[in-house]
Amino acid sequence: MKKKVISVLLCVAMATGILAGCAAVPTATAPAADAAPAEEAAADEAAPAAEGAGTFAIVTKSAGNPFMDRLGTGFEEVIKAAGGEVVRKDPESATADAQIAVIQSLISQGVDTIAISANDANALISVCNEARDAGIKVLTLDSDVDPSARALFCNQAGVEAVGQQLIDAVYDLTGGEGQYAILSATSQATNQNAWIDAMKAISEGDDKYSKIELVEVAYGDDEPQKSTDQTQALLQNYPDLKVICAPTTVGIAAAAKVLQDQKSSVKLTGLGLPSEMAEYIGDDDAHSCPYMFLWNPIDLGRLAGYASLALYNGEITGAVGDTFEAATLESSPYTVVDNGAGTEVILGPPFKFDPSNIDEWKEVY
Amino acid sequence: MAGKSGRTIAATPQTGLKQKLLSLEGALVIIFILINVFGRVLSPNYNLSNVMRESPRYLAEIFMLFGMGFILVLGDIDISVGSIVCLSATIGCLTSNAGLPMGLAILITLLTGLCCGMINGFIATRFTELPTMIVTLGTQIIFRGIAEVSLGSGGSASLKDYEGIGILRAKVGPIPLAFFLIIICAVIFVIVLSRTTFGRHLYAIGSSKTAAQYAGVEVQKIRFFCFTLIGFLAGICGLFILASTYGANTTTGQGFEMEVIAMCVFGGIATTGGKGNLVGAFIASLVIVCLRIALGQINMNTQLILVIIGAMLIISVLVPSFRQRFLTLKKK
Repeated sequence: MKKKVISVLLCVAMATGILAGCAAVPTATAPAADAAPAEEAAADEAAPAAEGAGTFAIVTKSAGNPFMDRLGTGFEEVIKAAGGEVVRKDPESATADAQIAVIQSLISQGVDTIAISANDANALISVCNEARDAGIKVLTLDSDVDPSARALFCNQAGVEAVGQQLIDAVYDLTGGEGQYAILSATSQATNQNAWIDAMKAISEGDDKYSKIELVEVAYGDDEPQKSTDQTQALLQNYPDLKVICAPTTVGIAAAAKVLQDQKSSVKLTGLGLPSEMAEYIGDDDAHSCPYMFLWNPIDLGRLAGYASLALYNGEITGAVGDTFEAATLESSPYTVVDNGAGTEVILGPPFKFDPSNIDEWKEVY
Repeated sequence: MAGKSGRTIAATPQTGLKQKLLSLEGALVIIFILINVFGRVLSPNYNLSNVMRESPRYLAEIFMLFGMGFILVLGDIDISVGSIVCLSATIGCLTSNAGLPMGLAILITLLTGLCCGMINGFIATRFTELPTMIVTLGTQIIFRGIAEVSLGSGGSASLKDYEGIGILRAKVGPIPLAFFLIIICAVIFVIVLSRTTFGRHLYAIGSSKTAAQYAGVEVQKIRFFCFTLIGFLAGICGLFILASTYGANTTTGQGFEMEVIAMCVFGGIATTGGKGNLVGAFIASLVIVCLRIALGQINMNTQLILVIIGAMLIISVLVPSFRQRFLTLKKK
């Protein structure tokens, strides 16, 4: 008897479920039937909103990356001040594939601009084109995609300037001769590869650097554990190593910890976040990193925010010679320049962090 | 059909409508409907054209679901498929860029998948003492390694002839070509697994390899075939990934194996073999895809989406065992 009651109850529950489902099916499929008009309606709605706020998206490289967090912070600040709505999306893993899924979702939502820090220069081309075809302005910051697929690249610093500064730091720390290694992010990270290529080109082109030797470019994939393993492998494989240069914030923090824990005589430089690196920066032997560089990621996020607004308002199209105001940034106004492959705006020169200023900056970011 | 015992196959208990509704598949259909209603309510942009536009990446993955279903029913596992996707997409991209016509490059992409599957099958059937988890863990690393070496220092290649591959991106209305192929595959594979001798053999092997062997089932031949099949399906997946991203890189297909296994398990296929069917797995895959798209559109934190899917997976595995426990308690 009990069994019967239960089964009847379950049947009723199922039936209501199905009824609810059937009732809901028309709602779910109805918009599908007239999907095209619905889209047009959405476009119509978007048009009058153009005078108003707009929705601005930023796609980071990965979640849980402090540098990416700061980019988001700066971006959000500028957009909110202008009255716009911000959508911040972190992909589920640090791959182009995951970024594609995220950008697709943003296209569905009909945002007005998308600012991307790309995990791969090529893989995102088709999805960026799709966004553009849907009337969305696409720009990149920090790490570029193929120039054909975006309107503008917000570059943190000129590639040459970064390469020059890094190779000079290596030259200085090795004392002008000896072995050094590079600890990079992933092997296809656009910006890291560009800086490393610039370092190689500069050191080959000038006799001054002939006595310093690059022994290996190791890839820590911007994962703390893998970067740690790679650092230890470098120390083991090259006993005469003098300097490690890590042009990535995750890599430099991992390497700094390894070197300091092992009390290694190898010195470290590269690009790092002051707040993460403060305890490793110092001139004496107890500290592993005498000095390092970085631009202000919050400022870079702000720059991308201003660029998004300018693209959205039609002030600029991303063509060479376009200028726009960036009220809270020192180098404002910014002018779009050609970097040989496509158009970009450059934030400014990289900033040097050393024992004299690190305490002040570690509070900032 | 009556055997010596006088029993017939028809004497196996038939499931009624009520049972069907109460089964896992029935529950999955209801969850599927609920998720679509929920997506529609929460996000104004959740409609057929948007879901279909976002779906190609996931659809590519679903091709492998059918092969993985076979492998899991056999009681084996293949965790190298993500790497096969990467390798076949890479080889396809590089051969096309080397100047081969697109048709040939597509064929090579599929053949690459097929060969990788054959290698897995060969090792798994020739050295039966090795667990397939370990065999495919090894080939997972090897295949991705080969792809990384072929891609060189840049770690990524982009397809020059992206007009040629455009046919794979063809759409009928808002619905991509891949979707129709998936439906065709679903019908074929479901029938093969549930209605043919071959399908029965798979369940027999999954329940007990030794018993199946003594019953005259060609266990190793069938296992070899299934590994080759999933390799080929991974090749198809690689092809569609290539078509949707216009290129390949070292992270292409990363994690696909686990996502596909998750879809199968969510759909009621037991990793211990001999249990479950593809209908459940297929509906489960649609549930997961729609859920991901819906949650993505309301801008939920992507890590949180993974947490939800993980939790759903564990609950779906626990529910049948709880139901079993509940039923035995009641009998007492």
